[in-house]
Amino acid sequence: MIKLQIKQLLRSKSLGIGLVLLFFLGLISLQIGKSFNERQQFIIEQTALAQKEHINRHLKYVDGHIGLLLYYIRFGLANESPAIAGLSIGQRDTRQAAQLINIRNLEEQKNTSELVNPFYQLLGNMDFSFVLIYLFPLIIIVLSFNLLSEEKESGRWSLLCVQSNNPFRVIKAKLLIRLVCVLFLLIVLLLLGSLYLNISFNQNLMAFCAHAILYVLFWFVLVWWATSLGKSSNQNALILLSCWLLLTTIIPSIVNNVVNYKYPIAAAYETTIDSRDGYHNKWDEPKEPTLLKFKKHYPQFAKYQHPEAASFSWLWYYAMQQMGDDESAVARQTMKQKIENRSKLTKWIGYFVPSIHTQLSMNFICKTGLHNYLNYMEALETYHEDLRLSFYPKIFEEEPIQNQKWETYSLQYFKEGRPTNWISLLPVIILSFVFLLSAKQKGHQNSKEKK
Amino acid sequence: MRIAQIKLISSLSYRSIFRVPVNCWLIGAFMILIIIALGSSYLSNLHHQHNVNHYSEEVRDRWENNPDKHPHRMAHYGYVAFRTKYPLSFFDNGIDSYLGNAVFLEAHRQNSVNFSQASLSTGLMKFGALSAGLLLQLLLPLLIFFWGYASISGEREKGVLKLFLTQGAHWQEIILGKTLGLFLGSLTVVVPAFILTFILLLLYPHHLSLSSIASSFSCLTLCYLAYLFIVSFLAVWVSAKSASSKTSLIKLIGCWLFFTLIIPKISQVVGQFLYPTPSKIEFDTLVEQELLKQGDSHNPDDPHFKALKDSLLLTHGVSSTKELPFNYSGYLMKEGEKLSTETYRKHKAELISLYQKQSKVVHYTAMLNPYIAIKNISMVLSGTDFGSYQIFNEAAENYRYNLAQTMNDLQIEHISNTVKSSADKNAVISQQYWIDFPKFQHNFLSVKEMIKSIKWSIGALIMWLIILMLATVYFSKNLKAI
Repeated sequence: MIKLQIKQLLRSKSLGIGLVLLFFLGLISLQIGKSFNERQQFIIEQTALAQKEHINRHLKYVDGHIGLLLYYIRFGLANESPAIAGLSIGQRDTRQAAQLINIRNLEEQKNTSELVNPFYQLLGNMDFSFVLIYLFPLIIIVLSFNLLSEEKESGRWSLLCVQSNNPFRVIKAKLLIRLVCVLFLLIVLLLLGSLYLNISFNQNLMAFCAHAILYVLFWFVLVWWATSLGKSSNQNALILLSCWLLLTTIIPSIVNNVVNYKYPIAAAYETTIDSRDGYHNKWDEPKEPTLLKFKKHYPQFAKYQHPEAASFSWLWYYAMQQMGDDESAVARQTMKQKIENRSKLTKWIGYFVPSIHTQLSMNFICKTGLHNYLNYMEALETYHEDLRLSFYPKIFEEEPIQNQKWETYSLQYFKEGRPTNWISLLPVIILSFVFLLSAKQKGHQNSKEKK
Repeated sequence: MRIAQIKLISSLSYRSIFRVPVNCWLIGAFMILIIIALGSSYLSNLHHQHNVNHYSEEVRDRWENNPDKHPHRMAHYGYVAFRTKYPLSFFDNGIDSYLGNAVFLEAHRQNSVNFSQASLSTGLMKFGALSAGLLLQLLLPLLIFFWGYASISGEREKGVLKLFLTQGAHWQEIILGKTLGLFLGSLTVVVPAFILTFILLLLYPHHLSLSSIASSFSCLTLCYLAYLFIVSFLAVWVSAKSASSKTSLIKLIGCWLFFTLIIPKISQVVGQFLYPTPSKIEFDTLVEQELLKQGDSHNPDDPHFKALKDSLLLTHGVSSTKELPFNYSGYLMKEGEKLSTETYRKHKAELISLYQKQSKVVHYTAMLNPYIAIKNISMVLSGTDFGSYQIFNEAAENYRYNLAQTMNDLQIEHISNTVKSSADKNAVISQQYWIDFPKFQHNFLSVKEMIKSIKWSIGALIMWLIILMLATVYFSKNLKAI
């Protein structure tokens, strides 16, 4: 029986075309992931080179105060991306893989983004997560939307009902064969992907695969649920396509609009203005208050003095620069809070929408989401602060430039370390069970009505 | 072809849409989505505009209230420019979410335009932003396909088609009539959507002339109507060519996927492969290296600037720069700004042209793909395409350059050569100069320029219409009645 089913399925053209097309698009997505990873690596290498070249060049030019040298030279922090990032690129491609910063105020430097063609951003990356979230469900729908209805419409169903105690078993078997085919394709793609992208086998990869498999299972459950409603083929197609549209386009885009509207980020503009005024206005103000504020922030530097009657000193200059960051701190905090709120609300809604949840979880695992960006920004702030704390005393003590080991200042790496979050698999599992139960109930009702 | 016949068939097929209760629900749901999309985009644009006005004023006030000071300090104090949205942009978000909204303009350097909506958003951005444009381009065709997939194949299956033909109806009349019926059906969604858009457009506060807004709006409406007519046509044709309604539905959904997902994605991959673009670090390094080659105004031994100095001294017959009749460091900075800006702009123009080439690879597929054609048209006419953004970008960069050079000119003219630093009491000019410097504002593309940039896409839509018409006239005889 099962053998016949498999034969029948293998002979159908739609399955062959569908699976081959999906496999082909999957391969393209892996190639996209590969070139993304290589580009990230390339950018990081370029940044490291640029930093080295930049420091060496300025060492040649600048032979005066160390404060002047530090005005120019920049230090890099790379946001290291794991190989698995190629499977779910998220917003990584629009953000810089590494940033070069000097020790002046950070606010004016940190918000630069990567150069990307905005029209291509609109079209979106066809990474593996896209193929999984958009295209896999479509194939699943095409393969199995008319499992029961086709039997009914061709008149075979009543025959089957007479011949068998449990005619649903046949339908189940048909669905299971399709499930096996699709899962097989998914696993082959994942396997090829992890080999091609050199993804190390660890918990992260396992969690990623688990999310992918669960997402496919969820769609089969949904198809089963739609089948249990006992509608005609056309209605099934309509119901399932509507589900697909709702889950992959309509709901996420509405949520996106709502979240962005609920937490507007005007504070971003405020930070820009505050930091600009915080620093630049100080040139025309009396020096004493600026210095006092600086020393209040860093009591350890209270002993350094601005030479009386001098129109300039590096102490005063960096104190002014510091004010650019200090006076925009409130607006910056508000902004961060709002972005975090956006992230939280989206995550919460995602628990009920498998497409959103899977995308966010994959971005989380691949370290390509908003979370990673916020953490990197924090790391950049810490790095900047560390640089300041180590250089400030040298500037104020007027240490000679030659005393420093400049060659040791190479590109630093930020590596986000987080334990794999297995619990995040739960929402999709629970939702799948809900639909399974509902399908069972509907199935019972249908068979009762028959009797 | 007889008009009366076409009218009869179209009104029949139009009414048959509403006889199915599900369709009324679908139209209702669609209308709700349209209202949500238009309403939320409208409100957030209003909010954005409010912020832009508020912060622009704040920036201006702070600029004008700067005390008397050395002009070069003002050049560094700089300005913050905010991007205003085109009034119609609430209709179609286009690439707007991916464009920066604020840029800090200062002397010596070109900062990036920051804080795009996408940069502050969660991973949901990838699913797209809900807009009326998205609904009408992407989802409405699906609805039309759903209404139309059985339009001819269904009647053939029921045997009605044979009756029609034997009673004297022509194939052309049936196809055109059915297409019109579907098209009229889609108007139940489109007409209210555009009326609502127009009302909101009138309510939106802006400084543009009504005629320019009205012409871009009416052009937009016309193009959408053409697009939906093509989609209806396609649905009927596929239905006529298919052996059964089931294969017709599968074919149409396949078409939809092919047009909206597969072609755009594949052409994008091809574009990226053909025209790779530099990353920010590569771009910055390239500009920096070229600037270094040209000369560094900070380096006293730089050959370019040394030659400049020598020729100045010679012309004015003096032995040191201190004796020059104008401020020498201002002069130097002016020269430096000119050189660095030229270099930057040259590279920026190359980058932009690469982007445009990349985008064109996708836009050319409009010839095969009406979806890309309407997407492009809709984006341009809503002022949310790259061309509109460039207007802002160029305005901001010109303003920056103008600001830096005005301050340099003021320094050359008013600051003595003997002052030691910008802190010197004599190195100060009046606040009035800041007040006299104009405000930042930017225009939008004119409707003429918009239409010029979408002429190919409009051409593609017209071509589709002609091809489908010709096919109806010449090939419909080969269709099967049974």
